[in-house]
Amino acid sequence: MSLAYAICSVYNTNMIYLDYAATTPMELEVLDAMHEAELRFFANASALHTPGHLALNQIEETRETLARMIGAKPAEIIFTSGSSESNNTVIRTFAGHEIEVSPLEHHSIFEVAEKVAGDKRPKLFSYMLANNETGDILDLAEIAEMARQVSVPERSELFEGKTDFGKELVTDKRGAYVHSDLTQALGKIPIDVNRLGLDYATFSAHKIGGPVGVGALYVREGVPFLPLIIGGNQENKRRGGTYNTIGIVGFGAALKKIEKIKSIEKYDTKVRRLRDLLGERILKEIPGSSLNSSLVRGESLPNILNASFQAAEGESIQLYLDAEGVIVSTGSACASGDIKPSHVLMAKTGDAEVAHSSIRFSFGLNNDERDVEGVMKVLPGIIDRLQKISTIEMEKK
Amino acid sequence: MNEGQDWVYSEIVKEHFMNPRNYLKGSESQFDYDAAGIVGNPICGDQMKMYIKVVDGKIFDIRWKTYGCASAIASTSALSELAKGKTLDEALKISAKDIDNYLGTLPKHKFHCSVLGHEALADAIKKYQEKQA
Repeated sequence: MSLAYAICSVYNTNMIYLDYAATTPMELEVLDAMHEAELRFFANASALHTPGHLALNQIEETRETLARMIGAKPAEIIFTSGSSESNNTVIRTFAGHEIEVSPLEHHSIFEVAEKVAGDKRPKLFSYMLANNETGDILDLAEIAEMARQVSVPERSELFEGKTDFGKELVTDKRGAYVHSDLTQALGKIPIDVNRLGLDYATFSAHKIGGPVGVGALYVREGVPFLPLIIGGNQENKRRGGTYNTIGIVGFGAALKKIEKIKSIEKYDTKVRRLRDLLGERILKEIPGSSLNSSLVRGESLPNILNASFQAAEGESIQLYLDAEGVIVSTGSACASGDIKPSHVLMAKTGDAEVAHSSIRFSFGLNNDERDVEGVMKVLPGIIDRLQKISTIEMEKK
Repeated sequence: MNEGQDWVYSEIVKEHFMNPRNYLKGSESQFDYDAAGIVGNPICGDQMKMYIKVVDGKIFDIRWKTYGCASAIASTSALSELAKGKTLDEALKISAKDIDNYLGTLPKHKFHCSVLGHEALADAIKKYQEKQA
C-alpha cells in the first residue's frame, strides 16, 4: 500500500521537485529495506537473544558500509538521530574550549559554538566541506594545516578519560582537532576522512534518499569525545538510546544505492549539466539575475544553484513557483520565520537585498532537462511580475 | 490520510497574493496620483509605497508597489481595498490589526515585518495634506 502510494506521490506527479538539498524523497529500495526490517528486525538490537542479534547485524552492516565509503574504521562510526545531533555532539565535546567555525556553518554548529565556546585548548575547527545553501566547497586541507600549527596543551581534562579497563581514552593528543559537516557532500563528491584530514565528520540519511531521523558521526580513533546522550551501553557508551534499527537499515540501503549507481559520477556529469544549464539560462533570460553559486567544477557541489533576482523577494518567488508546481527554497528571512536573511548569503555577498532575493534550486538524480525547461517556462514571468510591482527600481542596463 | 491545508497562509491571503488588487505595474507615471508615501527598507526584506488620488476629501483611487513576501503583497493589496472610498480621516485610522482581520489573521512572525502598508498610506495622506495647506 505505502509503496504504491510512494510511486503515485513522489515519482509520478507533475511536480518539479528542486529542493533535494532540504530533503530527498526516499528511494524505493530504501522503503523496501525498511519494510522488511520492520517485520524481521524489530527486536531491540541491544538484546542478547537471536532476534536482537539479527537486528544488530543489520546495524553493523550499515556501519561497515558507511565506514568503507568514507575511508574510516567501522568502530569510528556512531549512529545518531541526524546531522544536528552529530554536530551538537562534537561542538559540545569542546565546551569551554576555543571553537572556530566557518561563517557558512549550519545553525546546529554556530548556534551551539556561540553558546559553549571558551578559551581552553585543545581547540576545535569546524568547517563544512560543502555548503547547503550555495554549494560552495571549502578547502579543508588549509584548515587541517591550521590545526596542526596549534600547540598541544600540557594538560587538558579532555585528555583524562579512561576505559573500563584503565586504558587512556584519548591517545591522539593534539592542540586542535578538525570537524566537518559532510551532510551535503555525501554521495555528491568523493569523501575520504583521512585525505581530508578530519577527526570528526557529520552525515545524514535523508539527503541521500534515506529516512529523516537518522545520521552518523565519524569520530577518529583516539580523539577526545564526550557523549551527548548518556544512559546505556549503545554505540560503545558513546550514544545512549535504543538503536533505531529500521532507520539505520534505511540509511544503509540509501548508501548502497548511491554506491551501486555510482552517484558521484552521475552528479558530476548529468546533474552538473542540468544545474549549469539552469544557471546559464537564468542569467541569459532573466534581467536582474545573478548567481550565488559558482559553476566552476570543484568550486561548488554539482547539484546546487543559488540565484538572486533583483527587486523580487525570495518568499514571493518561492510561493509563486510553488503555485506552478516548482518546489525550491529561499534564503530570504521571510520564509524561515527568522528576522534576518540567510547568514550564509550575508557572509558571501554582504548584501541583505541579494540574500532576501535569493532562491536555491537543488537537483537530484531524478531530475532531467524537462525540469529545467519547466522552471524556465514560469520563472521569467514570475520575476517580471514581481519586479514590476516592486518598490525597487531595476538598474537600467 | 488527512492532508490538511496545502498553503502556508489563509485562503484569503492566497487570493490577494495570487491576484493582488490595485497594484501599480511598472512606472509611477502610469497613475495620476496626488501624493505617495513609503515605508520599510529592502534590507529588512519589505518595502511598501502607496499612491493616492484624492477627490472631495476622499481616497478616490489608490495604487501600491511592494517589495516583499507573500504576506507583504497580500496585506498591501488588502489595505488598498480597505482604503478605497474612505475619507482621509477614516483612512488614517486603518490599523495593522484591521488589515490582519481582513486577511483572516496572518502568522504571528509575519505580522510585525510585513503589515506596514498603513504607515505608507498615512505618510501619503500627510504629504497630501501638507501640499494642500
